[in-house]
Amino acid sequence: MTVQSSCRDDFPALRRKIDGQTISYLDNGATTLKPRSVIDAVTEYYETNGANIHRGKHRLSEEASDAYEASRTVLARHIGAAANEVVLLRNTSEAINLVAGGLELPPDAYIVGCMDAHHSQILPWRRAGRLDLTRVDGYGRLDRDHFRELLRGRPQVVALTHCSNVTGVIHPVEELIEEVRAACDAVIVLDAAQSLPHERVNVHKLDVDFMAFSMHKMLGPTGVGCLFGRSELLAKLRPQNVGGGMVDWVDLDGSVDRRTPFKFESGTPAIASVIGCAAAIRYLEGLDAGAQHQHGQDLCAALVGGAIDRPGVSLIGPPDVKDRIPLATLRLADGVPAGEVARLLSDSHGYMVRSGHMCAQPLVTELAGGEVLRVSAYVYNDVSEIEGFYGALDELLSWMAPAARTGAGRT
Amino acid sequence: MSDAATFEAVREEIAYAYDNTVFFRRHMEELGLRPEDIRDAADFQRIAPTSKVHYRRNYPAGVLAQGYHLNSPNVMRFQSSGTSGDRLNSAIMSYDLARRQATGLGVNRRFDELWQPGSRPRICRFAPPNCSDVECATGFSSMEDRILPDGTLVLTVAHDLLATPEWQIVKALDEIESYQPDLLVVDPTHFAFLTRWARRLDRKITSPRRLHTVCGYTLMTRVARRQIEEFMGLDTPIGDMIGMSELGYLGFECHLGQRHINNRDFYVEFVQDGKPVEDGRTGELYVTTIDDGLIPRVRYATGDHFTPLGSPCACGSELPVVRVEGRATHMVRLSDGRIVTPAAVDVAVGPAPWMDLYKLEQDSTGACSFRYIPNAKARPDDVTALEARLVETLTPNRVHVEAVDYISSERSGKFQPCLSHISAEGV
Repeated sequence: MTVQSSCRDDFPALRRKIDGQTISYLDNGATTLKPRSVIDAVTEYYETNGANIHRGKHRLSEEASDAYEASRTVLARHIGAAANEVVLLRNTSEAINLVAGGLELPPDAYIVGCMDAHHSQILPWRRAGRLDLTRVDGYGRLDRDHFRELLRGRPQVVALTHCSNVTGVIHPVEELIEEVRAACDAVIVLDAAQSLPHERVNVHKLDVDFMAFSMHKMLGPTGVGCLFGRSELLAKLRPQNVGGGMVDWVDLDGSVDRRTPFKFESGTPAIASVIGCAAAIRYLEGLDAGAQHQHGQDLCAALVGGAIDRPGVSLIGPPDVKDRIPLATLRLADGVPAGEVARLLSDSHGYMVRSGHMCAQPLVTELAGGEVLRVSAYVYNDVSEIEGFYGALDELLSWMAPAARTGAGRT
Repeated sequence: MSDAATFEAVREEIAYAYDNTVFFRRHMEELGLRPEDIRDAADFQRIAPTSKVHYRRNYPAGVLAQGYHLNSPNVMRFQSSGTSGDRLNSAIMSYDLARRQATGLGVNRRFDELWQPGSRPRICRFAPPNCSDVECATGFSSMEDRILPDGTLVLTVAHDLLATPEWQIVKALDEIESYQPDLLVVDPTHFAFLTRWARRLDRKITSPRRLHTVCGYTLMTRVARRQIEEFMGLDTPIGDMIGMSELGYLGFECHLGQRHINNRDFYVEFVQDGKPVEDGRTGELYVTTIDDGLIPRVRYATGDHFTPLGSPCACGSELPVVRVEGRATHMVRLSDGRIVTPAAVDVAVGPAPWMDLYKLEQDSTGACSFRYIPNAKARPDDVTALEARLVETLTPNRVHVEAVDYISSERSGKFQPCLSHISAEGV
């Protein structure tokens, strides 16, 4: 039994039909669908509680606080961290901005990043200091020599991307982190938003200082981004937002921040969504890890294999399945607009795929020259959907390619 | 002599669509019909109406006629946000569009001068952003980026009309001045907004050539029309277009102010409960294209309601005169079973010189709220009188009248003056 066939029914959105047609959701790099257990957890909070957390002593508030903190514990355990090392924020962007602003770097701080980073791992660092991006080769793999060369500049921060949301390449972060540690004393900040949904990470084994990810990309509700930080580094980080919920004491002369991680969580958080995250983690951990890995490999092989040698498309990324997630970004032939194709794939064929610059415009511009089409699969997809997608794409492209169909038309 | 489409032309269209498109052949087969079964108008009604869903779901493979592709010469592709999010991807032959446009504008003598031998009018478009074929909503593009293959310059506007920033408005005004158009193709609510801003900024909307204004996309309210006419002056011909993205001009307003439906390029039916309506009764417009080689449509249910008036028009056009009633999804449904059309609401509101904009919205309980943006001329008596007219129109349902300083647009960028959640949910 495949992972897909055992779990597709758990996702109510996949039962939906649009214009009488079943849908195939292949935009998982952007966000994933939610299983029934997550929806139920969110709904249960609203149906049976609804109170605020960490405020007051009444029964409902305490229950809500307990459920919220229990979720933090589940999240922390999933990545091998302690609960107080996990800050609950809105998304990966907010998590990285917290680190970039909270480190209080000098304006000319030297920072090394990656060319294939998401905008959320580029723009905060560009604002925080002097950012240099490590080059990638034509397939999107990091230029390791260039990386080492940049490290010789003794950066104060190295911002790594575990997996590109454009190429699907999983970078060898263990080796990269070793190189950073050997070369300098930079703070290492890892964007794991694309990798963690597919592969568990142990933050302490990885020896990373900070790691950011978003729960909505791994079956959780939207509105929850997580920041792991080593205790000693979190303690030095300056909160970027101040206000309710993050202080122990306030008087007319000043205030005393709460301990980590609470001092970074000002205001009322997305309580229901955080509670739903625990259900998402439990769901993922309940899948057979070996079967899930194999399923990912099968999806990846179908995505990559389908793109290679296919007329009218070229694959942005390596032409193999080694060290990559089941994601394929396609450049279409000149003159074929990716946005229009994505719209037709959706409305005429039921395939929901992404088009545009993927929030990684520097890389997409360099490797593809313009907007691209991205197909990204997850646990509830199966190989036949990928085959169906390519079939639909072939058909659409044949209607758009002048050479393929000619005729006099109506006279 | 009338040039109205003949039933023989309809039969040819049916045969062509059957022979050349996958969708329509299947549609007929599911009904157990073949083209030769359709001999007269009664037979014709055996063909179940087709709809936007069919053409969206089957585009392009199922609805493009054999022999064409999306890059064929003269094929214009577009993506429309549709009304209330009922979006569509489609294509149209540029010459079919031109033919239908010529038939439509042909009813209005004030637009005759637009087409001179050897030249074509320069057009600027100011309309909801998702109706454009270019990314105009961000205002992040140059004028050159926004000139369509047919020479139309698309002006930038925000999705939420009233939230359009001043720089974007100034850009639109500057570009009209620079492009020197003959024709403005506009959404009337959008253009009324632009005229208010132009007045505030002490700007003119002019061209060295005589400007003409075609209003389309959404219902032209009397409030919007008044503002446009006041600002542009009586010398500027203004016409209300009846149209759909996928079909082009379905009709136009003549120089005497009557709306004429294009029954020359389309075979038209007005249908209620599956049957044609008599003159003076309201029905949904079904159209069958005539000689559309690319995407022939048979009994295409437009979702737009009209009342055919059955009376000739002194303008001289033989195209039938209709009254525009509005879209099915926008009809206000009263608890006594009556239906109030957006056009009827607009009659109740009138040109209201003391008002800039309005929106009537019926919620799912049946209650109506009427929000309006007053201007400096507003007096308490005006509001009291309007409230009385609205109560009379909408009784027995409740209506709450409220002055506001902001009303949002739909996500598509369209601004509908009349909405009903009951009707929308029913569809």
